[in-house]
Amino acid sequence: MNRRFLFSLIALAVCSIVGPSGACADERRDSRQMMQLLRPVAETVADSMAQVICGNSPVALAVAVDSDGLLITKRSELTSDPIQVRLSDNRLYPARVAATSRPNDLAILKLDASVRLTPVRFQNTVPAIASFLVTPGRTGRAIGVGVLSANQRRIEAAGRLGVNFSNVAEARAMVSRVVSGSGAERAGIEEGDIILRVNGVEQPDEQRVRAALKQLYPGEEVRLTVLRGADNGGARPFEVSAQISELDSLGESKNDSLVNGPRNIRVTGFDVVLQHDTVLDPDECGGPILDSAGRVVGLNIARAGRVVTYALPASLINSELPNLIARARR
Amino acid sequence: MIPYVLAVLLATGQSVSAQDVIVPTPPFGGSVSGNSNSPQPAPSSIVSDAIISGTPAFASSGPAGKKSSGGQTSVAVPKALEVLAELGGVPKSLETLRLLEAQQRRVAQRATATTVSVQIGPAQGCGVIISQSGYILTAAHVAMRPGEDASITLSDGREYRATTLGMNRGYDAGLLKIDPGQGNEWSYASLGRSEAIVPGMWCVAVGHPGGYDAQRGPVTRVGRILEVAPDTLLTDCALIGGDSGGPLFDLSGRLIAIHSRIGNDITENLHVPIDRFASSWTRMQKGDAYGFLPGFRPTLGVRGKSSYKVARIHEVRPGSPGAMAGLQAGDVIVRFGKENISDFRSLIKAVANTMPGERVAVWYDRDGDRYRVIVEIGRQP
Repeated sequence: MNRRFLFSLIALAVCSIVGPSGACADERRDSRQMMQLLRPVAETVADSMAQVICGNSPVALAVAVDSDGLLITKRSELTSDPIQVRLSDNRLYPARVAATSRPNDLAILKLDASVRLTPVRFQNTVPAIASFLVTPGRTGRAIGVGVLSANQRRIEAAGRLGVNFSNVAEARAMVSRVVSGSGAERAGIEEGDIILRVNGVEQPDEQRVRAALKQLYPGEEVRLTVLRGADNGGARPFEVSAQISELDSLGESKNDSLVNGPRNIRVTGFDVVLQHDTVLDPDECGGPILDSAGRVVGLNIARAGRVVTYALPASLINSELPNLIARARR
Repeated sequence: MIPYVLAVLLATGQSVSAQDVIVPTPPFGGSVSGNSNSPQPAPSSIVSDAIISGTPAFASSGPAGKKSSGGQTSVAVPKALEVLAELGGVPKSLETLRLLEAQQRRVAQRATATTVSVQIGPAQGCGVIISQSGYILTAAHVAMRPGEDASITLSDGREYRATTLGMNRGYDAGLLKIDPGQGNEWSYASLGRSEAIVPGMWCVAVGHPGGYDAQRGPVTRVGRILEVAPDTLLTDCALIGGDSGGPLFDLSGRLIAIHSRIGNDITENLHVPIDRFASSWTRMQKGDAYGFLPGFRPTLGVRGKSSYKVARIHEVRPGSPGAMAGLQAGDVIVRFGKENISDFRSLIKAVANTMPGERVAVWYDRDGDRYRVIVEIGRQP
C-alpha cells in the first residue's frame, strides 16, 4: 500500500530545493501581523488555556473543561513525571492524570490544588473547507493559523512493535526480523526471540500475539515476556518494555523525515478528525482550535506531517467529555 | 534567487552528451516492467484540434486579459476585497479577514472540481483540467514521457483514461490529455497570468498529498506567495509527494501555477508559473519532451561510442548507477525500459527520457547470455 506511492513521494518530496529562500517572514500567512490581527479571536479562550509540563519540558497545551480543576489534553505526550500545569496567568500547579480515553488519545488532568478554572464550550459546528482555524497558545495569543483541508474522517491506528514473525500462525511467535529504529530494537529484542506474553497475558501462538499487539496504540509501552535461546535448554524467560511506533515512521527515509519535520509520537488512531494545515510543533497540540468567529470547533490532537495537523472535532470531544469528567471526579 | 540544491529526484533529461550517459541501478525489486511496445509520440490528430475550447491564454500568445479566459473556476472578487486580492497583504480588520475566508472557500470548492489525481504505472501525481476538450496541466516529472498511458481520477471519484503529451522539463511543465470518446463532463480551470502575481498575495493549493485517498479526497491549503521568480513561485502552501502537478489558484479563482517541488523548510514550496506553460504550449502539445531542470539531469554512468552498431559499454563510472547495477565494460545494452536499444545513441536518448530516482529495467548481453537488471537513474554530478 505504501509501495504504491513510493515513487510519487520521491517525486515531490525528494525534489528538494533548499537554501535560504530569502522569503520575507512578513509575507507568510502566519506572519506577526496576522497573529496580531487574530489576537481577539484567540483571546476568547485565554482564561481557559494552560500548558502541560512533564519533568522539565513543556509537552502539550491543555484547556479547562470543568471549573473544578479539570483540563483536557493529549494523553500520549504525558510520558514522564512529575506532571505540572502552567495556567495562562502563569500560576504553576502539580497535576495528575485523572481519566483517559485510549481510542482518541485524550487525558483529563486534575490540578492538585483547589483552583477555579473557566471551562471552554466546544461547539458542534464543522467549518467549510478552506475556513481559517486559529490555534491559541498558553497565554491566549494566536500561535498558529491554517485552514480546514479535507472532509472529516476516521484515522485507523497504525501502531507497530517493529518485528516480523516467522509466519506460522499456530506456532509460538518467533521473531524473524527486527526493524531498525523501532521500539523492538530499542528494547533489545533479537531475531529468534520467542514472545510468550503481551502485557502479562499468555499468548500461545503467533496469531494471538499479533492480535494482542494490534490492540495497542502508537506511543504506548508494551511489556513483553521473551524467551531467548530456547534450543540450548535452560533458557529462562525475561521481560522487556517496548514502545509501539507509528508504521509510517519505521523505515522512513532521512529526506522524508526532514521534509515532514517534527511530529507527535502518536499521529493515528482517532475516531474522527478535522485535517488542517496549521504548522504546529508537537508540543503545541492538546489545546483548542477556533474558527474565525472564535468558536471552539475542536482540539488539536497531532502534528502528523508536513501538510497535516489533526484536530478532534468538537462533536467528538463533547461525546467523550461527560464520561471522562465523571471518571475524573471519582 | 532560489538556489537549487536538490535532494533526490525530480527530473529531467535532455539529450545527454554522447559520451556520458548514465544510469543508475540499485537492485531493488522493480516495478518498472518492460513490455516492448515502444511509446509512440502523441498522434497529431489528438493534438491538432488543440485548443478547441478553453485554453485561450495559450491560444493567443499573449497573456489572457483579466476578465477573459473562460473556465469555470473564476469567482468575482467582492469590492471590499479587491485590493487585498490584487496586492496581497494582511487584512486590515477581522471583518476583511472573514471576507477573505469566504472568498478562499469559494475558490477552493471550484479548484477542487478541476483537480485530478494522475496515475502512470506505479507513479502518482496530480493535474488540473484546463479545457472542455480535456487538456490537463501537470508537472513534467509526473507526466515523465510522451505517449504514456495515464489514469486520472476526478475529485468526485470518476476515472478517465488519458495520454501524456509533451513536457518542458526545464520548467517542470507537462501536459496530458483525456483520451477521446469519454464525454466531456468535467469542469475546467480559468487561467490566470503570471505577471499579476506579487509577493504577499493569497493563494489556494489543491492536491493529493501522499497519493489519492478516496476516503479523504483532495486536500486544500491556503497560503501566500513568498517569492516570484521567472520560472518559479515560492509559497507557504505546504506540499509533499503526491501533490506534484496539482494547481495553485489566486483569490479570483484563476489558475496561476502548478506544484513542482519542495525544500526542507515548510516555506519552501515551489510551483511552475502558468506563463511557463503558455510559452511551452506549442511544443508540449506536439508531444515534444525537452529541457532539463538544473540538478536533475539523469545519468546511467556508462560510456560508449556512438559509431558502433550496438550499444556496447566501454567504461562504467565507479559508484555510478550502472556500476551499482553490475554493468561492466563489454556489456551490450539491448533494451532500456520499454525502448529497444539499437546503438549507443538510442541509449542516450532513452536515458534522457527518464528521471533521477526512476527505476528502469535494463537488458544486456554478456558472453552470449542475456541478463536483466533494475537500475535506479542517478543525477549527473
